[in-house]
Amino acid sequence: MPTTPLYFVLPENLTAEKFLKKLSKKVNFYIDVQQHAIKTYYDSFDWRLYNADMVCELNQSKTSSQITLIDRVTGECLALEELQDVPPFSAQFRNGCFKTRLAERIEMRALLPLCALPHQVYRLNILNKDQKTVLRITLDEYEILANRISLHPLKGYDKAAANISHLLANDLELSPTNGTAALNAALQLQGRKPKDYSSKLAIKLDPAMRADKASIIIYKQLLAAIQINEAGTIADIDTEFLHDYRVAVRRTRAGLSQIKNTLPPKIVAKHANFFAWLGQITSTTRDLDVYLLSYQQYQAALPETLQADLAPLYEFLKKKQVIAQKELADILSGSKYRKQLLAWEQYLRDPAAVKAKGSDANVPIKELADQRIWKVFQRVLKEGSAISESSPAETLHDLRKTCKKLRYLMEFFQDMYPAKDMKVLLRALKGLQSVLGDFQDYEIQENNIKHFSAEMMEDNIASDTLLAMGVLIQYLDTMKCTARNDFAEQFSRFKQAQNQAQFKTLFNR
Amino acid sequence: MKIIATYNIKGGVGKTSTAVNLAYLAAQNHYKTLVWDLDPQGASSYYFRIKPKVKGGSKQLIAGERELDGLIKATDFENLDLLPADFSFRNLDLVLDTRKKPTQRLKKLLAPLTQEYDFIFLDCPPNISLLSEAIFETSEILLSPIIPTTLSLRTLEQLKKYLKDNKLKHLQLIPFFSMADRRKKMHCEIMATLSEQHQDILSSTIPYASDIERMGWERMPLAAYARKSRSTDAYQALWQEILQLIT
Ligand SMILES: Nc1ncnc2c1ncn2[C@@H]1O[C@H](COP(=O)(O)OP(=O)(O)O)[C@@H](O)[C@H]1O
Ligand SMILES: [Mg+2]
Repeated sequence: MPTTPLYFVLPENLTAEKFLKKLSKKVNFYIDVQQHAIKTYYDSFDWRLYNADMVCELNQSKTSSQITLIDRVTGECLALEELQDVPPFSAQFRNGCFKTRLAERIEMRALLPLCALPHQVYRLNILNKDQKTVLRITLDEYEILANRISLHPLKGYDKAAANISHLLANDLELSPTNGTAALNAALQLQGRKPKDYSSKLAIKLDPAMRADKASIIIYKQLLAAIQINEAGTIADIDTEFLHDYRVAVRRTRAGLSQIKNTLPPKIVAKHANFFAWLGQITSTTRDLDVYLLSYQQYQAALPETLQADLAPLYEFLKKKQVIAQKELADILSGSKYRKQLLAWEQYLRDPAAVKAKGSDANVPIKELADQRIWKVFQRVLKEGSAISESSPAETLHDLRKTCKKLRYLMEFFQDMYPAKDMKVLLRALKGLQSVLGDFQDYEIQENNIKHFSAEMMEDNIASDTLLAMGVLIQYLDTMKCTARNDFAEQFSRFKQAQNQAQFKTLFNR
Repeated sequence: MKIIATYNIKGGVGKTSTAVNLAYLAAQNHYKTLVWDLDPQGASSYYFRIKPKVKGGSKQLIAGERELDGLIKATDFENLDLLPADFSFRNLDLVLDTRKKPTQRLKKLLAPLTQEYDFIFLDCPPNISLLSEAIFETSEILLSPIIPTTLSLRTLEQLKKYLKDNKLKHLQLIPFFSMADRRKKMHCEIMATLSEQHQDILSSTIPYASDIERMGWERMPLAAYARKSRSTDAYQALWQEILQLIT
């Protein structure tokens, strides 16, 4: 059975009044509700709901205020909650289906309003001969968009829905559309479109392009990511603005050190210093964010009798985070930062103004990418193979850094290689990175919690809190050791002949 | 999920009015609610303006050839659905009799719906028959409206004896007074004596009232056209008392 179109858009000049008049000549209905309302769409900054085929909308009128999660494809309502104000984080919602579905998707990200659409809602009930409602219709009359209609079929009355849908399309000549057309149209008015931000890199490069031009394209995209996350970082809307900001900074640093000899060394040195500084000034806040995000995991790692005693650690971390965040926000709003970022932006916009070139500026970018990826891959193999069970922690930390460089290089140039092959190799690399990351993160956390406990001692904390932190340190140590033990297995998996052959075919033919 | 049957061996005592009005109140409390109109006369279907017609009739229905879910109709009210009656339901007894375990049949048919609904009301035809036996097997609550007349005492005792003799222990009988006319001295006296002899009769009663009678004109549940009335309050009080007992 063909599916019945449930959404329609009215022609520009067709007002709600005129439409209702036309409709009344064809079918029997009454207007159940007519009121002014505001529809506000929500999503996380990185479109997590949209990416999961969901739309979140708040519908407010004089009589009600409801937030709903809607399946973007079928238009089905997945969860609904009555509420006045939308809190930014899923944890702040009332327990229930809405909260669960939301948390699953947006995790630690804040729910942000995308756009608000004031409109007049008409709810129509279509009646049969017995004056029984067989279909509900919502007519939204917008001030800034074409008017829209949605059909809400009633159980057991599919035929009525199909008939009315047919009538709207054929007799009234309305155009079928989908459930998110209003969102898309509203975004368009703001000059935006869905999924206009993603933390993933997607850089289009012509393999024959000169290496210096290509690297400028890469830096420009990374700069855009830094700039787009800057305001959210300063305002501390959620932790991921700073996270994505830092990733863009790290990628830029990796680019400056790994896409070698394309730009003049003096330029590279100057800006590399700036980005190193950016890495530094953002790290304290990020570390504290990570502890706070991990707090539930920390608590869950403790015996139940000690879980409540960990609370002072949260307070302590939160206080520190607030201070660090404020310092960071001040720096990012200050002139030292602004001037240097502007200098970098100006250089990227007009590199020709600076006559000097790097020695490899004229090499085709694909050639340079092949070389660099192959070389760093060899380094990963060499460093990894040298690690034995007794090797010191530093050797793993160094390997972690090398892996990151390889990862960033592969991501910068991903577009020039077969997508399927790249996906396989990146997945293998991610597996390795994940144990190395765990190993180092748990080690740092373990050490820092130790420092924190010393600091907290000065505030006369309860002995049970110290005890809880002791157990936590034990847990972090166990996790660190688990990661260390997993390393050999993960590395041998990465190093397997198949991967090596694949790297060779892609980058060293 | 709870299955509630409105049952009395007699007709015209308020079974349908009870099923329709209580189901409406349950749905208003956000419980997903279904009314199954098992009476071939289709009175509850009529109140919801839904055609008393089931594709395939009682035969295919009882044979399980059609999923119950596909036969359900939404009413005009949120959270409230109806499984309509069909004229062929007058043969339900005969059709049931062709099955191996006739009294288990309704339970089996309803099983897939238990996930979807919080309450299922069975609006039953009068009489004791194979169908009523199947209803007793399926339901958890037997809600029985009683008109305060001299005969009703005997009817209630007969029903209790029947449930006992047939070891229907899972079934909770909840009797209450229906169409009670406080102006009639006889009604008041009978209610007083009966309540004393049968402690399980609910204290809420449904009065004899013209606005309840008007349901046949309005073709909707009482509370949908008479939001504020003594009768609406009476159904509300009855529903609250029942909820206390069963949840
Ligand atoms: N409380 C009441 N007061 C007045 N009339 C009532 C009342 N309850 C039901 N009626 C009317 O009595 C008739 C029989 O009621 P109904 O609920 O159909 O009983 P049953 O389902 O037991 O046959 C209907 O016409 C109904 O409108
Ligand atoms: Mg009846």
